Amino acid sequence: MTTSLETFKLLAPEIALVVAALVALLGAAFAGLRSGWLVALIGIAAAMGLAGGLPAAGTSIISGPITIDGFSGYIRWTVLVAGGILALVQGGDLFRSAVVRGSGLSRGGTCEEAGTFLILLAGLSLVGIANDLVLLFIGLELISVPTYILLALKRTDARGQEASLKYFFLSLVASAVFLYAATCFYGLGGSTSLAAIGDALRSSDPRLTGMAVVLLPVAVGMAMAGAAFRMAAVPMHFYAPDVYEGTSPGNAAVLSTLPKVAGIVVLARVLGLAIQPLGIAGEIGPAAQIHLSFLWHLAAILAAITMTVGNVMALVQTNLRRLLACSSIAHAGYLLVGIAVAAAAAATRAERPFDGAAAADTMWTIGLGGMSATLLYIATYVVATAGVFAALAYLGHVWPEWSSGSGPRPPREEITDVDDLNGLSSTNPVAAFSLALFLLSLAGIPPLPGFWGKLTLATAALEVDWTSPVTFGSRRAWFVALAIILVLNAAIAAAYYLRIIAAMYFRSTKKGVQADGGLAAGVGMLVCLVLVLMITVQPKRLFTPAMRAGAAASNVLTAADEPAAADEARLVHSD
Amino acid sequence: MQDISPATLLVLVPLLPLVGAIVTVAFGRLLGSRAHLPAVISIAAALGCAVVLLAGTARLVGDGHGGPARPVEMITTLWQWATVEGSQPFSIPVALRLDPLTATMLTIITSVGLLVAIYSIGYMHDDPGYPRFFALVATFVFSMAMLVAASNFLLVYVFWEAVGACSYLLIGFWFRKPEAAKAAKKAFLVNRVGDFGLAVATFLLWMTYGTLNFHDTLSADGVIMPGILGQTRLADAAGYVGGIVGTAICLLLLLAACGKSAQLPLHVWLPDAMEGPTPASSLIHAATMVTAGIYLIARSCPLFMACPDALTTVSIVGATTALVAGLIGTVQNDLKRVLAYSTISQLGYMFASLGTGTLLGFTAAIFHLLTHAFFKALLFMGAGSVMHSMGGVIDMRRFGGLRRVMPITAATFLVGGLALAGVAPFAGFFSKDEILASLHSRGWPDAHHEDHHAAAQKGYATHFHLAASSPENAAVQGENEPRPLSRIDSPATFRTLFWMSLFTAGLTAFYTFRAVFMTFTGPTRVPEEAGHHAHESPPVMTAPLIILAIASAVSGWLLFSTHALANFLAATPSFTAPAVVATAVKPAFHWDLALQGTLAAAIGIALAAYGHLGRRSDGPQMERFLGPLQTLFARKFFLDEIYTALVVRPLEAVAFIFALFDRRVIDGLVDLVAGIPFAVAAVVRQFQSGLLQRYALAGVVGVLAIVVALAWQLRG
Repeated sequence: MTTSLETFKLLAPEIALVVAALVALLGAAFAGLRSGWLVALIGIAAAMGLAGGLPAAGTSIISGPITIDGFSGYIRWTVLVAGGILALVQGGDLFRSAVVRGSGLSRGGTCEEAGTFLILLAGLSLVGIANDLVLLFIGLELISVPTYILLALKRTDARGQEASLKYFFLSLVASAVFLYAATCFYGLGGSTSLAAIGDALRSSDPRLTGMAVVLLPVAVGMAMAGAAFRMAAVPMHFYAPDVYEGTSPGNAAVLSTLPKVAGIVVLARVLGLAIQPLGIAGEIGPAAQIHLSFLWHLAAILAAITMTVGNVMALVQTNLRRLLACSSIAHAGYLLVGIAVAAAAAATRAERPFDGAAAADTMWTIGLGGMSATLLYIATYVVATAGVFAALAYLGHVWPEWSSGSGPRPPREEITDVDDLNGLSSTNPVAAFSLALFLLSLAGIPPLPGFWGKLTLATAALEVDWTSPVTFGSRRAWFVALAIILVLNAAIAAAYYLRIIAAMYFRSTKKGVQADGGLAAGVGMLVCLVLVLMITVQPKRLFTPAMRAGAAASNVLTAADEPAAADEARLVHSD
Repeated sequence: MQDISPATLLVLVPLLPLVGAIVTVAFGRLLGSRAHLPAVISIAAALGCAVVLLAGTARLVGDGHGGPARPVEMITTLWQWATVEGSQPFSIPVALRLDPLTATMLTIITSVGLLVAIYSIGYMHDDPGYPRFFALVATFVFSMAMLVAASNFLLVYVFWEAVGACSYLLIGFWFRKPEAAKAAKKAFLVNRVGDFGLAVATFLLWMTYGTLNFHDTLSADGVIMPGILGQTRLADAAGYVGGIVGTAICLLLLLAACGKSAQLPLHVWLPDAMEGPTPASSLIHAATMVTAGIYLIARSCPLFMACPDALTTVSIVGATTALVAGLIGTVQNDLKRVLAYSTISQLGYMFASLGTGTLLGFTAAIFHLLTHAFFKALLFMGAGSVMHSMGGVIDMRRFGGLRRVMPITAATFLVGGLALAGVAPFAGFFSKDEILASLHSRGWPDAHHEDHHAAAQKGYATHFHLAASSPENAAVQGENEPRPLSRIDSPATFRTLFWMSLFTAGLTAFYTFRAVFMTFTGPTRVPEEAGHHAHESPPVMTAPLIILAIASAVSGWLLFSTHALANFLAATPSFTAPAVVATAVKPAFHWDLALQGTLAAAIGIALAAYGHLGRRSDGPQMERFLGPLQTLFARKFFLDEIYTALVVRPLEAVAFIFALFDRRVIDGLVDLVAGIPFAVAAVVRQFQSGLLQRYALAGVVGVLAIVVALAWQLRG
């Protein structure tokens, strides 16, 4: 593991984030700095600038423990854009120290929050570029630890503390489980480098094959469990409703977006172990085949269960944040569909290796591959979800129903239930419209971004092994069934999203919605609105980088690979 | 006006009222009590355009004394609406046409439309829906103008529906009144039956002729593609399909016409349509929209000429409707309903005339259409004037001697009544005489040979000449061959129809003057609802009455004595088909028929005078005289009841069963399916206990379970 100056250059965005974090934390402690979130925004902007100056994402650079390729570039940009939005959401009191004090909410300490948040972003960005088990694990912990702090800082009431404790303990379990998976992989490959483990796994060494049959199910299963916790997928999803309910909208926004990206990256890296790098001929060994087969079965089963569980649970929720938590569980299921598709497609390729041209013609020209679909989906999901929470953070509180004869006016209450949004279209039409658009996108209504995400996922699932007939138990049948389950789930999901829209547009209320959550959150909401509309109008500008990133992760040549690779950074930049 | 081409004028006629309607809708609230201005001004401008077009067309046609008329038409294609390339290219141009028939119709529509709009300023003055009314009237004038100017069956269909929609909206104008809403619904539903006929006819036309255009079109490579009523096909004697397909097309077109023009068996909607504002009844349900069926059949008469059976059916339907509606009209006590049945009856006359399949029959139908538009609009507006000053009461039994209260209305109503009854020299006399003549010529063909010979000498082609000169002319040859006795288009049929029509003429005179006498003569009786309103209507309402009264008085004589209208219309492309031209006769005044018609009218008026003049004893006397027939007529031959029993009730029963099935079975299934997620949720919820240790346990156990199960499965 050599570390050169070049590696530091490649890490410049992460370094910028960490520096900004230090400024915020130390400035608050020693220099009386108040506007921590301003520092965070500046830091994120700087990181974006540095990331834009890096070599074009089409190229692939491996330097020590880090990899810079289309995939990590896409992840980094997603993280930075999402981080910018979330900083706005979190910094609802960007220019004032705190808007609302009392009821355990928004108590000072904004500089500390900003600093921890920046470290979280840096950790996530590191996960994206990690090419080494140790760095991957450190990155994951760099996400987890700041999350505990954020959860604990934001609310000091009993419910907030309960949420933060629950998250803390379960996260520890997940980390431990993932660490166990990491040791298994280390045992298989004899190295912490992902590239070295992959080489060992793909070889046809009979001694390794015997070991793999025992170790691989455990390793893949545990890695999946670790990722499932971060994605809030079954069976590690239980914490989500309790934690989301017990924390601030801003924290819920962070929890429902950034860890999911980390989970996707972990699974993509695990999947990548069994895939031959581009340009290397030769078939993969039996161990790698077991790995792929195991991975796609596991992902497909968990995807189906997760989607269904998340959606049916969301159906019966009346608490807005619990509902959104269940919805985020369901979306984790959709994301797993893409992982399953990517693994199954890789397994198909391994069994029946096409020559490149034919593969390009038959497999990859119709739609995006599974990994690309997942990456496209996560971007659309992040934008819409961050927008929903931004709107909730911006709206803040409602006045309870009150008539002047019945005593003094009761204090404002935080928006908790769907009913609290009743009649929002008349009290705050902009927020109502934005919320409606985000929810429709999450429901997958064309032509909004969420529709393109679901469409590409379903198409990718239907393309798996699509030359073979659909017989019971065949791989194709699995994925046809998965696509059907996905579409049915989308229908169920529409019910509860539309219920919120109905509350905003078709009911009236005597409660006044305050929009006291701070201007920055409102700006964050509008940024999400603009992004959603941009993707709606020109989905191609997201398709192209997602396709290239997916191809880089699963080492597949795509038709879109050759042209205009240099444009990619700029394309993503505009998102 | 040199700069403005006829094409521009033709587009302006419908366009101006459309603009007027849009302006009214957009600024109606702003204009307030001046909301009539856009509609009135735009329709007046459209009338100006239409008159210029009429004059221009007339100049093109010439004086008509130079032998058989040559077709005159002008086509303006605005844009291609839909184009499908292929082996059988399909294109729908938005094309407007100008020919004598269209020019005549446009003039009628815009002139009556303008008078009705002006009249409505007074009639509707304090109605809350004032702007809406004028927007609808302007929209109607637009739609109707497009209907008669469209040069394409699909466009005709579009505006056929559009005028139907306007009619629906105007019948239900006072939609808070349950009767009005019900009547609007009934009109719409009954019209759907006819519209269905037009739709299927359009499909069949496309299948048969490969185009829907009336006119010939020039394809890109210079080949003339004959339109259905284009001059290429008209000149080709074998251009029209007869037999089963042709008859089916014609009968379907007839069905469409029956719906729009309220002929048996689809006439039931028109009397109920009187729930709408009277000016709307006057414009739409008397003068213009209901004549769309006449227009459609006249326009497509070459199709009908190839199917004699269908043509005769038109006549039979028309004469029967005329008789039935006339009989019902004799016992109505609602002034507007008398006029409504009279409208149905007069439209029946026009159908009977069209069905004779002679040039005289076609031109007579349009002639009657024109005079009827004037005098029926006049009568309706007169009735509206009465209703307006009588506080909304329209029951004739409660009126009496109103000529003293409202002299102008009474005088103009009398003129309209004389015209309707067919008393010389008022307009209806001449047009009705022509219709009777056309029926007579088919019933007693020998008696009219003289006319044919005379016409031949003047240069008109007669069917004898044509048959000799062009033996390949199958259609015309068919006319000459002795027909089997079973054919329905035998002289005997037309003789029956002639006598029916003559009897109806008497009936018309009777019910018209029954209404006149009951309303305007006798001791003065004013219903108490009238209040202080009981006076003559304001000038803005009486002026249109006077104008229409003059038109009703003189238009018949003017147009008949000069034969101007007949000669003019003969240049319509559809009427220049050889089969039609072959039936041309020398224009003549038939003294014998005129005498018979006048006699019938005189008897009718005399009976009405005997029953109703001076005395107030209508009910018992009529009942004694008619006996059970009184009930039959008063209940409209029980047609509404029969339809209810045969159509409405069975449909309702089926609908009830389906609704039950839908609510219980289908909805039950849907609810069941929708219930599944909730049931699952109820189970899944149990795991969401909130206890940390259970969460961790469930997570780890869950992963282990799946891993072990998979590992075991995959190994095998």
